[in-house]
Amino acid sequence: MKVRRIFVATVGIGQGAIGVLAGILACILYFNFLDVKTALNVSVELLPLYLFILSVFSFFSVISGFFLIHEED
Amino acid sequence: MTNERKLGLFGAIIMGLGAAIGFEVFVLLDYAYFHLAGPSMVSALFLCGFINILTMFSYSELSAAIPKMGGEYTYTKAAFGGLIAFMAGCLRWLASVFGAALAAIVFTRQLAYFSSILIPMSRSFMLANTPLIVAILVIILAVLDIRGIKEVTTLVVGAFLAIFVFFLANGLWRGLAPPEVLPAPSFGGLSGFFAATAYTFTMFVGMRALVAGAPQIKDPGKNVPKALLLSTVLLITVYCGVAYVAVGVVPLGDYDEPFLNLAAANIMGGVGGILFAVAGMIASVSSIATAMMVQSSLLGGMSRDGYLPNVLLKVHRRFGTRYVAVIASSLFVITFSVAGAVEFLGYAASFGSLLVFALVNLSLMKLREKEPHLKRPFKAPLYPLTPIAGIVLSFLLLVFPMILRDVNAESALISGLGLVALVLATYYLRMVGRYRLRVAMGGVSLGMGILLALLAYLSETSFELLVISRFPPSVLVFVSAVSILAGVLNITAHARKIF
Repeated sequence: MKVRRIFVATVGIGQGAIGVLAGILACILYFNFLDVKTALNVSVELLPLYLFILSVFSFFSVISGFFLIHEED
Repeated sequence: MTNERKLGLFGAIIMGLGAAIGFEVFVLLDYAYFHLAGPSMVSALFLCGFINILTMFSYSELSAAIPKMGGEYTYTKAAFGGLIAFMAGCLRWLASVFGAALAAIVFTRQLAYFSSILIPMSRSFMLANTPLIVAILVIILAVLDIRGIKEVTTLVVGAFLAIFVFFLANGLWRGLAPPEVLPAPSFGGLSGFFAATAYTFTMFVGMRALVAGAPQIKDPGKNVPKALLLSTVLLITVYCGVAYVAVGVVPLGDYDEPFLNLAAANIMGGVGGILFAVAGMIASVSSIATAMMVQSSLLGGMSRDGYLPNVLLKVHRRFGTRYVAVIASSLFVITFSVAGAVEFLGYAASFGSLLVFALVNLSLMKLREKEPHLKRPFKAPLYPLTPIAGIVLSFLLLVFPMILRDVNAESALISGLGLVALVLATYYLRMVGRYRLRVAMGGVSLGMGILLALLAYLSETSFELLVISRFPPSVLVFVSAVSILAGVLNITAHARKIF
């Protein structure tokens, strides 16, 4: 059980971290840090769509990761 | 806490006025006068007071019939239970957060005005650093609130009334050119008039705090309704009088200074402006401190009933206050006040209060039907006309600023609808339970992982898919694998638990 618990927590931390990174990427895109819009070839019209997708992905990833990290035995 | 009843009718009226006379008069009149309704703002204030009286009848009946703490949340819970009560509690909390954020901005503006009289150069510095000042102010008040220093909210009602009466008397003695206070087509017409009514509505809603203070009032069945009505009438007189005089001495135009300070300076000279600046600052600080107490109490009540996480009930070991709830509310207040959108906050606070008023009126009607034999020491007159009129007028006030296409009102309404959706989502997520929620999240995670894998495959083969094709395939595969794995683990964990 202990091995499973560690495995589940690791996946949870991984997914949570991916969620946080997606959120950070959304912020970077929104504020256009380091001219990232040009680097990723993001058009102004599609920016809201990207932000929406990244926010939703980030939200669900963080919540799902949270459940795995705080799994009740 | 003691429940000793020691306030008579006079004390109850003072309590109502103390709760209602706040910072709002120092900021909301500006936009209502210069941008929405012009001089007819005075009649808009009268209409606000009238609508307020209609709903105060409902508050009076409910507070006398259900003499418990909790106000709107308690009434809606008794009438409808779960979701509506949670909605009312959340809306009340949001209105309070928006109001506190607005109060923090008013404090900075009045401070800037005050300091500019002493040091003329300081005004631009103050206004440029508004976000920093409001954040510091809210943090200080939150710390004071956590430490349990409640006396910061004590407001000298008499001093405020004296300032307003002095202003009125001076203005009338000087002789005013009587302004045209009825809605005029030249300035926004009826839409502008109703938009101003909606915008300034929050100036009157503080009166409901009297209901919360009912346990301290002698013979509450009689005194609370009387005090509510009398203090509302007094408040209408004072606010309409102040607005009338101010409109009479400040012509429409574009000014940097706050409207009432300008009017006071015109009537009483520089001292008048300073007097109103000091009064505005005191009112703002008092309002923020009161709002923080209300917010932590509301969050605590909803957590106790299981709608919000228990962590909000955590009490500080040393000071005995709900510090997590205070900190959570303060963060929201800081976020909204730092944004500095006065008009947006004014509308948002009003809309929240209007919806709560509508829910209170609905609760009254529901309880009359559901509990016809409930002991009611006070009954709303002309039932069911009064609550129906209260509901209809509340919704009309939500609609009219949209007819005027006021962008601030539209933003406030859209944000409000978004927040209501969030409230509904929170309620259902809380009610479905942890395991079901976990399975749902597992399903979503699994779906996202599979979709991501598919997109990664397509972008690798032939399609130029969104921004995804800019990322290395190994990253996409890794993210997809983690999501799928997390989804499976979340779903199977639930299965293990149940079976």
